[in-house]
Amino acid sequence: MKILKKIVILLIIVLIGIQFVPTTYNTSNEVLETDFTKIYNAPQNIKNLLKTSCYDCHSNNTNYPWYSKIQPGAWFMENHINEGKEELNFNTFGEYSGRRKKSKLKSIISQIRDDEMPIASYALVHRDAKLSEEDKAMITKWLNNIRENLK
Amino acid sequence: MKNLKTTFSILLFTVLISTVSSCKNDAKKADTDGEMQTMEMNKEGMDHDNSDGHHDNDGEEAEMSHDNSDGHHDNDNAASTDRDIAASTQKNGATSEIIDSYLQIKNALVADDKDGAAKGGSMMLMAFSNFDMSQLNEAQHKEYMEIYESAKEQAEHIVKSPIDHQREHFETMSTDVNDLITLLGTDKTLYLDYCPMKKVNWLSETKDIKNPFYGSKMMTCGNMKKQIN
Repeated sequence: MKILKKIVILLIIVLIGIQFVPTTYNTSNEVLETDFTKIYNAPQNIKNLLKTSCYDCHSNNTNYPWYSKIQPGAWFMENHINEGKEELNFNTFGEYSGRRKKSKLKSIISQIRDDEMPIASYALVHRDAKLSEEDKAMITKWLNNIRENLK
Repeated sequence: MKNLKTTFSILLFTVLISTVSSCKNDAKKADTDGEMQTMEMNKEGMDHDNSDGHHDNDGEEAEMSHDNSDGHHDNDNAASTDRDIAASTQKNGATSEIIDSYLQIKNALVADDKDGAAKGGSMMLMAFSNFDMSQLNEAQHKEYMEIYESAKEQAEHIVKSPIDHQREHFETMSTDVNDLITLLGTDKTLYLDYCPMKKVNWLSETKDIKNPFYGSKMMTCGNMKKQIN
């Protein structure tokens, strides 16, 4: 009993301790010329949808809610963001070759259509990021239009 | 006592997970670094291979550069899919390993074989890292790199995805490999087939139609557009 109590206290100290481990936050206020919404001239409603549902992990600027700043939550998030940006970064979309723009667009559309993105664990916590059927229809229509024009 | 135990295990679990996840991050970074190093080493290896004149396509390479000088291989991506393949296909064995891996994926998808397709994806990554880029001229190199980047991405996804995703990435990959053949040629006899439902082309080594996009569900759907070689 006494030992257990000591261990619990130790663990609490560790939990408090890891809060002080420096974490790199994915934030930037720079609006790049290569930004997806900029090069394709996205209307405001599409812009808002992308920003709320996609940009947290697929851009250089994550909107961190307070709970995501508590460890180990922030580490989980960091992992997702790194993976997400590696796969697709909306801020630098203009840097992709024409071939890759097409294939990225194809993937974006099919991920949204099949409810693969935004991923379930993220949408569970960020309720506003979840795309409704109307949102999905609107955004895929707009994306498909860009894709047609790229051909 | 019981309560304390539960609290204790929850806390322990949390700390363990956070440790694991931070380790995973580091391991990943290390992985990427390693990969990049290997790539660089491969490049060096290729240059070396080449300097001893082992490459047996010298004649064709000359022909290819000639084609290029009259502007046949401009870098217009948008037009690349519509190029007349039969007219521009050179005999080139250098692309064989890449095409073989593509056909492995194609045949696995025809057979609804997810693991076989994943294996083909790894084969393709290997084939690209074995490819001798030093034989390419500047214009070819630029287009080759674009095709390579895209095909590599598709192959990586085919390695790790369920079969319906594999098939989606195979659509893009088919365009990539087809464009690669247009750019560099092949010494294989291939057939360019068209899937009217997906509105995409795919390549096959056999004359009869075996559609890889739906597997057994729609095996004979499609038609042959062109014979290559």
